[in-house]
Amino acid sequence: MAERGARGGTRLLWPALAIPGIVWLGLLLVAPFYVVLAILFGGVDPILRQPVPVWNPVYWDFTQFEYVWQHIVGQDAFFRPALLRTVVYVGVASLLCLVIAYPVAYYTARFAGRWKGALLAALIAPFWISYMMRMLAWVNLLQTDGLFNKALSLGGLLDVHVNWLGGQPETVVMGLVYGYVPYMILPLFAGLDRMPAATLEAARDLGASRWETFRRVTWPLSRQAVVASVLVTSVPMLGDYFTTDLLSGSPETSMIGNLINNSVLTPGQTGQAGAFVLLILLVSILPMVLYVRYTRTAEDTAS
Amino acid sequence: MPERRPGISGRSEVARRSVLKGGLAAFALAPLLQACGGNGTSSAGGGGTEKIPAPDNPITWDLSKKNPAIESGLRPERGSTLRIYNYADYLSPRMIKDFEKQYGVDIRLSTFNDADEALTKIAAGNLDFDLYFPSYDSLGRLVQADLLRPLNHDYLTNAGNLWPGFRDPWYDRGSRYTVPYTIYSTGIGWRTDKISDDIAALDNPYDCFWDTQYAGNLAILDDWHTAMAMVLLRNGQTNINSTDPDDIAMVRKQMLELQDTMNPKVTISMYTELPAGQYGLCQMWSGDAINTQYYLPKSKSIDIMRYWFPEDGVGEVDNDLVVCLAQGKNPVAAHFFINDLLDEKIAETNFGFTGYQPPLTAFTPETLVSKGYVPENLASAVVTEKAFDVGVPLLQLPAAADAAYHQIWQEFKAGG
Repeated sequence: MAERGARGGTRLLWPALAIPGIVWLGLLLVAPFYVVLAILFGGVDPILRQPVPVWNPVYWDFTQFEYVWQHIVGQDAFFRPALLRTVVYVGVASLLCLVIAYPVAYYTARFAGRWKGALLAALIAPFWISYMMRMLAWVNLLQTDGLFNKALSLGGLLDVHVNWLGGQPETVVMGLVYGYVPYMILPLFAGLDRMPAATLEAARDLGASRWETFRRVTWPLSRQAVVASVLVTSVPMLGDYFTTDLLSGSPETSMIGNLINNSVLTPGQTGQAGAFVLLILLVSILPMVLYVRYTRTAEDTAS
Repeated sequence: MPERRPGISGRSEVARRSVLKGGLAAFALAPLLQACGGNGTSSAGGGGTEKIPAPDNPITWDLSKKNPAIESGLRPERGSTLRIYNYADYLSPRMIKDFEKQYGVDIRLSTFNDADEALTKIAAGNLDFDLYFPSYDSLGRLVQADLLRPLNHDYLTNAGNLWPGFRDPWYDRGSRYTVPYTIYSTGIGWRTDKISDDIAALDNPYDCFWDTQYAGNLAILDDWHTAMAMVLLRNGQTNINSTDPDDIAMVRKQMLELQDTMNPKVTISMYTELPAGQYGLCQMWSGDAINTQYYLPKSKSIDIMRYWFPEDGVGEVDNDLVVCLAQGKNPVAAHFFINDLLDEKIAETNFGFTGYQPPLTAFTPETLVSKGYVPENLASAVVTEKAFDVGVPLLQLPAAADAAYHQIWQEFKAGG
């Protein structure tokens, strides 16, 4: 009897452990997403032009989604450049993040020795200052008569008047890299730190050079961490709008996040923001699925 | 004077109420999307049902039945919190502190970037803002959506300080819901150390925003209506509230050209960014021009700042208002605050911080310059009562035209 009771307890215990996660998902992901859909496929109040959500899918009206879709793929595709720009900015920024973060994470994990803890704390330090403050600091540094141009002019030797804040894509990408690179370093570090030292020693013992050990052992073993960290950084970058707002403010550097922000705040267009949200979701689900499949095959081969 | 179309406005009330009650409002989308199709001025649907005040069409708003005015003779409740919703840096912190001290009331200030954003959040209804500072182009919507509380004039003992023309304004006959807050013109600001040409001496100063030698060195106001009114003025169309499809098409063409060739920054922070040197030229509100002096680095002299407004006065002049929102919990304190805004001394404190003039008789260009509030080279940014005789205000637009302009703005801001 007692034994059966205990077994029944564990049978219930494991699913019970999943409840907080499921409640969390339901309350903070599924329900809000349904609200977004109800607004996207809902109506607009005629006087204040505020969205009027329609909860029953039977009455959903797809005109707002069609409007957005038409202006992405149709003839008058004025949303398209911003979407392409987002892909390019996020792609370049993620790549730069990786180029910066990988060596840093590698060094911290393998060679920092007793400084590992301190170094890690230093890498997390940027999180202690709000993202907004860090971007505003760049606004100061990058002004035409700011410190950055002064440094470039080598103390007045050269005449440098680059208008970094005048709607330059480079500045926006730099801002994204600067803002998100810590998010890249941490998962990379976690991945590299876990790597069995014995495997690397074995490779060296068997005659592989340092470079070959990296290329044939370290890199393949860290690929999963690389994919994870690129996802962790690029997905929030996709929705970013204040980096370009603060560092450029020009429509010529608008990203999809700006399109969402603009339509949310414009009476009568709020529903369109839902269409963009839906698009981002679809676009970011794809690499997620790939990642899950990838890690599963990696686990299979490992075992 | 056109008649006030009472029958039509009555119909709109019914339509609105049924919609606000949460019914299906898909039908409301029809006029909007029709307008989005490019045929901007069809007056079908929502367009005909709105009461839109204009200088030649003054309006007396009905008193709200749902939100009665407060009774006379009350005092603000000590320890309560007065919630104010305003643009950033548009209210003097010292004035706020003084008020808190005098009445034992806490003031909580929230800020917005533009009227569209503000309206979106006010309509949410649960933020309990007591005071809001709209322009009159959104007044009609606020009244018709029953979001305002009528003012009790017994509390507004300082109203006699106002310019006579603002005591019974066209947008709100009898000042039932509003008190004017500030007046301003919209013109062009620039720095002589960054822009070599004298913008004011150009044949058509507005052309500077399409002059590629300034590309990447300029900013446009992040306010759809103000930005596009400038395009109309540039082309000699002084009806900046035009609903003519040809005008709208022209605005679209030139806005996209501006976006394409000039790389403008779109912002409302000119008062800090122009002094900081982020660009040399910008569309600007007069109050922001006056305000630049407080944000200039110490190494620069205010002499480098310029502000241009058409000399014949045919440019955009507007005034902002202060209203008491029905959702607020402290209407009495709100009335006291409004009355303080009309007090000459307090208004002077406030002006010293915001740079935006109140329409009070005590404030003239001469007194403002002689008291040192406005440097002489920015005297063009002071607004006179006469400016309102020839200047053109932004008005609320009929729904279809409004949607057409909004779509242009959307296209402009999406970037090419």
